[in-house]
Order: sequence, then C-alpha cells, then structure tokens
Amino acid sequence: MSIVVGGGRRGLTDPEIAKVILAAIPDKPLETQRKMNYFMTPRGKRINEYETLCCYTQPTPDWIPGGLDWGDWTQKFHGGRPSWSNESTEMHSSDWHRHRDPAFRWHALYVKDKAEEWRYTDRFLKAYSADGHVRSIDPVWRDEVLGDYLGAFGFSEYGLFNSHSSPTRDCLGDTLRMSIAMIGLDKVDNAQMIQAERTFLAKLVPGFDESTDVPKNEWTKGSIYKGARETVEEIWQGTYDWNEILFAGHMIYDPLFGQFVRREFFLRLSSYYGDNLTPFFINQMQLYHSQTKGITKDMFHTCLAADENFGDYNVSLMNMWSDKWLPRTVNAMKDFMGIFSKIPTIAGVSDKAAIEAALGRVFDDWQRDYADPIGYKVDTAAMIKTVLSGLK
Amino acid sequence: MAISAATKAATDALAVNHAPVSVGAQEVHRWLQSFTWDFDKNRTKYSTKYKMANDTKEQFKLIAKEYARMESVKDERQFGSLQDVLTRVDAANRVHPKWNESMKVISNFLEVGEYNAIAATGMLWDSATAPEQKNGYLGQVLDEIRHTNQCGYINYYFAKQGQDAAGHNDARRTRAIGPLWKGMKRVFSDGFISGDAVECSINLQLVGEACFTNPLIVAVTEWASANGDEMTPTVFLSIETDELRHMANGYQTVVSIANDEAASKYLNTDLNNAFWTQQKYFTPVLGMMFEYGSHFKVEPWVKTWNRWVYEDWGGIWIGRLGKYGVESPASLRDAKKDAYWAHHDLFLIAYALWPTGFFRLTLPTAEEAEWYEANYPGWYDMYGVVYEEWRARGCEDPNSGFLPIQWFIENNHPVYIDRVSQVPFCPSYSKGASTLRVLEFNGKKHSFSDQWGERMWLSEPERYECQNIFEQYEGRELSEVIAEGHGVRSDGFTLIAQPHTSKDGRLWTLDDIKKIGCVFADPLKAL
Ligand SMILES: [Fe+2]
Ligand SMILES: [Fe+2]
Repeated sequence: MSIVVGGGRRGLTDPEIAKVILAAIPDKPLETQRKMNYFMTPRGKRINEYETLCCYTQPTPDWIPGGLDWGDWTQKFHGGRPSWSNESTEMHSSDWHRHRDPAFRWHALYVKDKAEEWRYTDRFLKAYSADGHVRSIDPVWRDEVLGDYLGAFGFSEYGLFNSHSSPTRDCLGDTLRMSIAMIGLDKVDNAQMIQAERTFLAKLVPGFDESTDVPKNEWTKGSIYKGARETVEEIWQGTYDWNEILFAGHMIYDPLFGQFVRREFFLRLSSYYGDNLTPFFINQMQLYHSQTKGITKDMFHTCLAADENFGDYNVSLMNMWSDKWLPRTVNAMKDFMGIFSKIPTIAGVSDKAAIEAALGRVFDDWQRDYADPIGYKVDTAAMIKTVLSGLK
Repeated sequence: MAISAATKAATDALAVNHAPVSVGAQEVHRWLQSFTWDFDKNRTKYSTKYKMANDTKEQFKLIAKEYARMESVKDERQFGSLQDVLTRVDAANRVHPKWNESMKVISNFLEVGEYNAIAATGMLWDSATAPEQKNGYLGQVLDEIRHTNQCGYINYYFAKQGQDAAGHNDARRTRAIGPLWKGMKRVFSDGFISGDAVECSINLQLVGEACFTNPLIVAVTEWASANGDEMTPTVFLSIETDELRHMANGYQTVVSIANDEAASKYLNTDLNNAFWTQQKYFTPVLGMMFEYGSHFKVEPWVKTWNRWVYEDWGGIWIGRLGKYGVESPASLRDAKKDAYWAHHDLFLIAYALWPTGFFRLTLPTAEEAEWYEANYPGWYDMYGVVYEEWRARGCEDPNSGFLPIQWFIENNHPVYIDRVSQVPFCPSYSKGASTLRVLEFNGKKHSFSDQWGERMWLSEPERYECQNIFEQYEGRELSEVIAEGHGVRSDGFTLIAQPHTSKDGRLWTLDDIKKIGCVFADPLKAL
C-alpha cells in the first residue's frame, strides 16, 4: 500500500495499515530489560513508579554530584553565570538526586489527593452551612480573631509560599525540584483556604468583612505579627541559598511559629469559642505540614546530614543556620503572644499556664524532630520563657 | 456569651433559608491580587532589564485546589485509557518499529523541555510582582512537573510493553552521547532557564510553546497514530490541554512589560533571538523525526511548518501582539528556507553518526525516496544517491566495516558544530542555508553556521562557551565512547543504536565498531 496516509487514518485500527505494521515488527522483543531507569539505586527494594517517572529527568553534568550528563551549559546567564551550579548553596552533597518524597508522590498522585480534599471541602461547607453551625461561634472570636488575625496569618503562609520560587529555579536535583514546588503549592493553598473560610463566613454572617484590607493592615503594621513578618520577608527575599531558604522556613520557622499558631492557637482554641469550622481548614494545613515535614526531613536529615562525604560539614552548617533563624522565630512567637489579650481568657485553655504547656508541646516536638537529629543543643525552657515575656 | 447583632442576623437568615452554601474557586481567587505586600527587599532574585507591572492579571483564574481537581480529572481519563484498553489490545506491539524508535527521542527530549520548564516558570514566579501573574506561572510550574512525568510515562510504557525497550528504558543515561543532545539542551534546557527572566519567558512561552508546541505536540500525534501509536496521542493531547494556559502566560509577560520603556528597545531583538534559537533546532529535528522516523507519512514537514510556524504563529499570534509593539522576527524568512532542506541535511549527518544514538535509524526505502523527491524536488540527486551508495557499501551490515561518517571524511566534507545552537552542519554538502564562519576568541576556535547565531555570540561570547562532541571526544575511539556512555543493551555488547529497523537484519556490537577503528577528531583543528 501507499506510504501516504492522509485523512486521519489510524494504524491501530485501519486493517490495511495494521497489516504492514505487524509484518515489520520483530518476532520477539529485541530487549529483555524492560525496567525503565534500571540503572538507578532505588530507595527501597525495587524502583517504584515515582522513581521511574522522576529520577534523572534533570540533565545535569557530572560535575554537579549525581548528574549523568557531561560538559558545560549550552547557554548561560548574561555575564556567564551557569544555568545551575554548585555555588547556589553552601550545602554539599555526594548526589543531588538522592532525595525522595517519603510518600512517593509524582504529579498525578499529588493532585489526586488535593482534588479529593477540594471536593470534600465543598461537601463539608454545604453540610456545615445547612446545619447552621455558624450560630454558635463566639462573636469576638469570629469577627476579630478569624476576621483579622487568621486573615493576617494567611500572609505568613503566602510569604512562605513565595519563598519556594527561587529554590524551584535553583535547586540541583529533580526529585528536589518537584518536592519543593509541591510543598510551595501547599502553602499558597493554605493562604487561599484561609481566605475561603473568611469568604464563607461572609456569606453566612451578614456584615462579616471578607476583605483582606484589615488583615493586611494587621500583618504589615500591627505588633502581633511583626516578628513573623520580618522573618518571612527575610526567608522569602533576603536569602539566596536555596537550602537555607528551605531550612529556615521548614526546619525552624514553620515547625515552631507555624505549629504554634495553627495547632496550639487556632485549632486548639477554636472549639472553646464555638468554632468548629476553623478546625476543618487547619486540619488540612496540618496534613500538609506533616507531609512537608517528611519531605524536608528527608532532604536535610536523611540525605544531607547523613551524606557519606559531607555529612559532618552539612550538620555543622545546619547548626549555624539554626543559630541564625531560631532567635528570629522565637521573637516572632513572642510578638504573637499579644493575641491573647485580644480574646476573653478561658481558664485552663488560654491562661498563662495553658499557653506555657502549649509552647512546651511545640518546642518539645521541634527539639525531638528537628534539633536532636542534627545534634543541635538548645535550651527550650529559656526560649519558652522569652516567648512568654510577650504576654501582655 | 453575648449574642452579637451579626450572629442574630445569621440566625435569622438561617430561619428563612437553610440551603447549603459553599465557596467557589473564583470567590477566593478574586482576593488573590491583594495577598502580597510591599517591603524593602521585595525584588526578584533574577534580574531583568524589563519591569513587570504590579497589576498584571492572569487569564486562567485558578486556585491550588481547583487546579488539582482539573488535572486529576484529565489524569483519570488518560491513565485509564493507557492502563486499560490500550494494554489489553497490546497496542505497544502494534506500533511501526521506526516510530517505536522515534518515540525514544521525542518523548525523552520533550521530557527535558518539560523538566526545564519547571525551573523556568519557577524563575518567572519569582520575577513577577503581581500575585495573579505569579499564580499563572505557578500553575505552569505544576503543569510542567505533570508533563515531565507524562513524557516519562511514554518511555516507561514502551519499555514495559513494547517491541524494543532499549533506549526507552535508559534514555536518561544514554542520551548524552550523540550529536542531537547538546542542541536539544540549548533550546529545551538552558534557553529556558539561563538569562534575563523575560528573555527566558519569550524563549519558553512566546516561542517554544506558542510556536513549536503545535507541531511538536499536536502534529506528532497525527504521525504517531498513522504509524499505529495510540499511546502518544493519549498522553500528548492531554499535555496540550495545559499548554493554552502557558501560551497565555507568555502573552501576559508581554502585556506586563508593554508600558515599560525597555520593551520598545529590546523586546523585538529578544524575540528575534529566541525565535532563531528555537527554530534552529526544532525546524530540522522535528522534520527529521516525522519524515525519517516514520513509515507512514502524513504530510511534508514544510507544509506543517508553514501552517503552524509561519502563518499561525508568525502571522496570527504575533499579529495579536502587534498592539504591544511586537513585530514578526526578522529571522523568520531565513527560517522558512530552513524548513525546506534543513531536516534533510541533518538526517544525513545523524544517520552517518548512528552509533552514538540511543535509537535505531532507518535508511529511506525506494518508496520513501519517491515521496521525498515528489515533495522536495532535487532530493534524490543530493541525498538519495548518497543513501544508495551507503546501502551498497553495506552500511546496515555489521560485517561491512563501513560507517557512513567515513563517507564524509573520504569526500572531504567535514562536519562542524555551530557553537551557539550546537547543531551539526556540513557546509560543503548541504542544501540548507548553512555557511561556515569561524571566529577565534581566547585562543579557541568557534564555528558558526548562520548570521543570527554568530551575532548572538559576538555580542555575548561568554554565554556560549559549551564544548561540542568533537572537542569532548577528540582522539577517542568510537566504541570506547559508546561503552562509556552506556550505549549498549542488557547483554553488555549489542548496541542500542542500530542503522536499520529490519527484523531480519543483524545487530551491531561494540566489537563491530571497534574493528573499524573510528577516532574522533576536532574539525576546527584542521583549519
Ligand atoms: Fe509542558
Ligand atoms: Fe508548557
């Protein structure tokens, strides 16, 4: 038959074409190795689908450790700075392709989870509104805390989100790049869900102000988030080293400040003020937090701290970074203590003893999961004392 | 607790209406533009000579969760088809062998483009100041992760199910050996991520995506399906649904800088450079993959090119940007000439260097020669006769001891590599417009094949210093280079690359190559 096949004829279903194709196909497959990426070292026993689809997609030369390509970059920045380079971070690795998302999520799995969360959010809000739960929220909590301070916390999440743009550009590995973009998206999702909650409240409660004006004013000019804002600005734009950005945001600021604000303030207190709407959203954020924690602990602890050649050096650098970012974070938490004077105190819940206990939980968790693994010595009791000095 | 007036109002409202209420994506998105704030250090880490406006809006107003929902629906359809019906009908073993080979390159090289687009749009997300504009680029960051995974999935699928897994299963390790790789990196990798952020956006979105995505991702599906491949259309058309948003991002980049004075000074030069950069590789390579990498032909590449690149992009798309001062690139006319002959020139060289590939190539058959001659009059006298000579000398047979690159050497037709595009060319034996230009800088010689690349190099030589394969492998024997680059199959000695796809033909081994004693030389040294 003619080799010209116009008109959208398809080789799979057109009998004439199919005959020619089948005749050309070898009687038995030419290669027995059918495993894609068979040459790589998997994290577990076998190469999984995530590793197949993500690992070594990045074409870096071998002078960036782990790269399989050779030679120089074919086009550089004006002035000759290379596309990607080892100098983009102070951290050293024997193989920048080593990181894994512990949940092995490639794109399809990641969006599937989030899509389910969105559908469930929609169903939850419908049931919540039809059920009339909104009537039970304490008005001060609702109008001031959710309206202003939760709204203002959205800016912290949005700023942290933006701190992922340059690491998405600059990092040196493929699984790293994908993880960084995903944990970044979770942060803007948090900011958006905070706004979603406020918009939802505005639909149910006449007069509730959903605009971002007041929260933004609180974030940029108020005292409660002053330390937080300054820290976020420094993580987002003041820092160039992509590993330091991630370390500052995810190994120091968020597990301390973020965890206190989300878990120990909004999540824990909301039900005492008749609010069982906020826990729905915060719990999603806590899920993202725990997934992100798995990812960043893999980056910094499993890979960099345990690196066979550079582990000791990396650990000492992480200690230095902790020295740099911890005081700012403690200061942010201290400023945040100002919020307790804005709400009616509930004995055993939002009094000083309860706050101290909550801080204890956050600092203990952080010490166990973040400080101890890099041998970082820290006096958490002193830090809690400093934070508490912010109580008005 | 005191009941506030608002609580009372909410209670009263409920008494009247208990209808369930939710929040839509748009209701959240409309606040997005206010999510940012001003502070001293708030500036991008990637400098650009343009200023992107603070109030730039995006066209597709997605929030994170709605994005995930949309993509997830598309994924279900796509992976459902692949894993269910296409696997049951053994579709991977109903693809023409020539096309099975082409997809080793197309899917893997596209994967590199997708992968680098993640970093490129990460940079743009950093450079833009308006939250909506950032959000548009962010959506693309995620899309490009999707596309990277999707392209990988094609090779994964063909490796697992198909007739020749070699090359599909290890492209990411073996792709760097041959002459097509570095040029691919220029267009698909470094061109997207290294430079002025806006220049990179022009490369990626305004040219790469708005211009070459159509031939690359859409036309390829027609060639695929004609040659029995339904996997590629299933995946690539799903990729394409995201590309509209990416083209819109490119459009918004231009909108965001339109009022900036720098735009009137630099935009058209940047566009011209970007167009030439992209076309210099894609025009020959796509044409070559389609026409020489298929058995069944859909239409001559030059027609596809004229429709998508010249008319659709150069005319309509650029025309639409005319109100922002954008002009059709000056190099478009030279590119149009390339669209006719450049892919024929390139295949001659690619075939001659077949042992360095991670795929099998096929000499044109008599039927194909007729088709080429009919569509490209003059083809036979230039290329047809050479292929006949190579075939007669046994280039397909491992016992012949003949590699076609020897023909270039015997006939004194040196093959050079253009420093800027990294595309190989043979100035003394080509019908395309390439002419040899050699310049010396810092004690090193550089060859160029056209004025546009030469100009880019002359103004910024420090951006284009990359050594080419002849410099890299100089003095080394071919089989050694192949072995080092893992160009062999799982038996440890048969090459992944072969000069034929005949099911009865013998397969070449490392020893067959070694016997010939082919040693790399740098043609610039001979000048
Ligand atoms: Fe893409
Ligand atoms: Fe794209």
